[in-house]
Amino acid sequence: MTLIRKRKRIFRFQKKLNRSLPVSILLFMILALFGAFMAIPLIYAFNNAFKPLDELFIFPPKFFVRNPTFDNFFDLVAVMGDSWVPLSRYFANTFIITVIGTAGHVLLASMAAYPLAKYRFPGSRAIFSMVVLSLMFSPHVTAIPNYMVMSLLGWINTHASIIIPSMAFPLGLFLMKQFMEQLPDAMLEAAKMDGASEYRIFWSVVMPNVKPAWLTLLILQFPVLWGTNGGDFIYSEQLKPLNYALEQITLGGIARAGVGAAVALILMVVPITLFIISQSNVIQTMSSSGMKD
Amino acid sequence: MMNVLKKMGMSIRTYEGQKVLWGILFVSPWLLGFVFFFLIPLLTSLQYSFSNIEASSEGLQMTFVGFANFIEALTVNTNFNRQLIESMMDIVINVPLIIIFSLFIAVILNQKFFGRSLTRAIFFLPVILASGVILTLESTSLVQEINQQNAASGGLANALGAFELERIMLRAGVNEFIVSYLTGAVGRIYEIVSQSGVQILIFLAGIQTISPQIYEAAKMEGATGYEAFWKITLPMVSPLILVNMVYTIIDSFTRSPVTDLILSTGFDNFNFGLSSAMAWLYFVSIMLILLISTYFISKKVFYQE
Repeated sequence: MTLIRKRKRIFRFQKKLNRSLPVSILLFMILALFGAFMAIPLIYAFNNAFKPLDELFIFPPKFFVRNPTFDNFFDLVAVMGDSWVPLSRYFANTFIITVIGTAGHVLLASMAAYPLAKYRFPGSRAIFSMVVLSLMFSPHVTAIPNYMVMSLLGWINTHASIIIPSMAFPLGLFLMKQFMEQLPDAMLEAAKMDGASEYRIFWSVVMPNVKPAWLTLLILQFPVLWGTNGGDFIYSEQLKPLNYALEQITLGGIARAGVGAAVALILMVVPITLFIISQSNVIQTMSSSGMKD
Repeated sequence: MMNVLKKMGMSIRTYEGQKVLWGILFVSPWLLGFVFFFLIPLLTSLQYSFSNIEASSEGLQMTFVGFANFIEALTVNTNFNRQLIESMMDIVINVPLIIIFSLFIAVILNQKFFGRSLTRAIFFLPVILASGVILTLESTSLVQEINQQNAASGGLANALGAFELERIMLRAGVNEFIVSYLTGAVGRIYEIVSQSGVQILIFLAGIQTISPQIYEAAKMEGATGYEAFWKITLPMVSPLILVNMVYTIIDSFTRSPVTDLILSTGFDNFNFGLSSAMAWLYFVSIMLILLISTYFISKKVFYQE
């Protein structure tokens, strides 16, 4: 696998005249070194999930699985079958929180970033400096005032208490604004002159051109919400997200090591898959957009 | 207020007026959320920092105590001063290293090669691993262990290498401060690699928004890849250096011992006033770092016109 990759790389670089072969090889080596650093935990977790019980506790620990089984996953289903809230309910909760929260965050942050980046209106500077300031403030400290706001709004023990605040997260706005500032004004003016409304400009000009930016935002926000365990705001068992249920299972400690490994794999696979899908989409963006000055 | 409304009504027909209207329209949904979930809690915590807070059956009782909490944090508390300075130093050292490293990796990852999105995913992995879900599981599923072993063995090998390097450089007459910065950097490799996932991604997105025509034109004029990086890529992603700097600093919150101290003061000792005061001191010192570095960086930032 790596050999094929290496060969292909070298082949490609040979066609490129502006970089010498030794430099390419050196760059690739560095990449491979750091990449290996990062990949080890993933490979280990993946192997662990398929290990039968006797292999999990072998000493010294083996890195790769020898007799792969699905036992750990069956055990997980069996364990979940005993709980009085079905697994699908937990899954639905996490799905609702993650999808609505992520989509809302990307949408609201982009919409707010567009005028802040491209138009000057009274208060725009003040709004943006507030955003930057709030970025620098540790979120843990506002825990108590936050709870009070929630209870004032009557959102305690609802999904809204997790979804709505995540939409207004300042990081996304900051990121989108920096990206949108790089769009040439000429492009927006051209759209305006052709009679596009602001709404139309936003959807058909701005958003397609900053696609890499909002895909990045998507990837950043998704794991945060996917990994939420309901925090301090959700008390009812039937409203708790998936992560909470899986945490409870792994509290069984050493006896649940196999199930724990399966859980870790499931929780990791979804964000990683999303990441790979969105990253392969990014490539198409730039080929379809072109600006001539 | 009436005056403002009148003025808005007058100017609504002009192009400028329309811009204002649309601007406010687009910002307001986000702004509402922001005010409720960030601004109000933030201001409440400022109020807490000047008060003595006691929880009773009638809710929270606040009494105004002036700067007492701030004085206590800085002069009475044994840990706060030291940890604040330590984490400030950590930020100052790590931020430039993380930014340089992530830009470097982003440029490499932007090239076309087999298995590119998989490689990108691998570099983003630490972010997913650290996002809370797996962190709690890791301790039981042994992933944590391998992580620690990685850090330990890597750290040991690095430390040995750094020690040799340090002697050679000192003997060669390199400035002592530079030497200690560089060897410290070597020791921090694992830390830096695992903290730069998001930054790589942001730079990558930035590089992807550069239009390929610019590179084509440069290539036709005979620019080398090296020149293209310094003259095209770097200026075009320079606004994102600022983003990444801010992000790196925020990210360091979650790892900082100061945050732990703030949390334990607030929630273990129930001294919310002192905890808020500490948070605000931390906030102000980070703001100072950011203001200074923003000042220098924004001079260099390039915006396409």
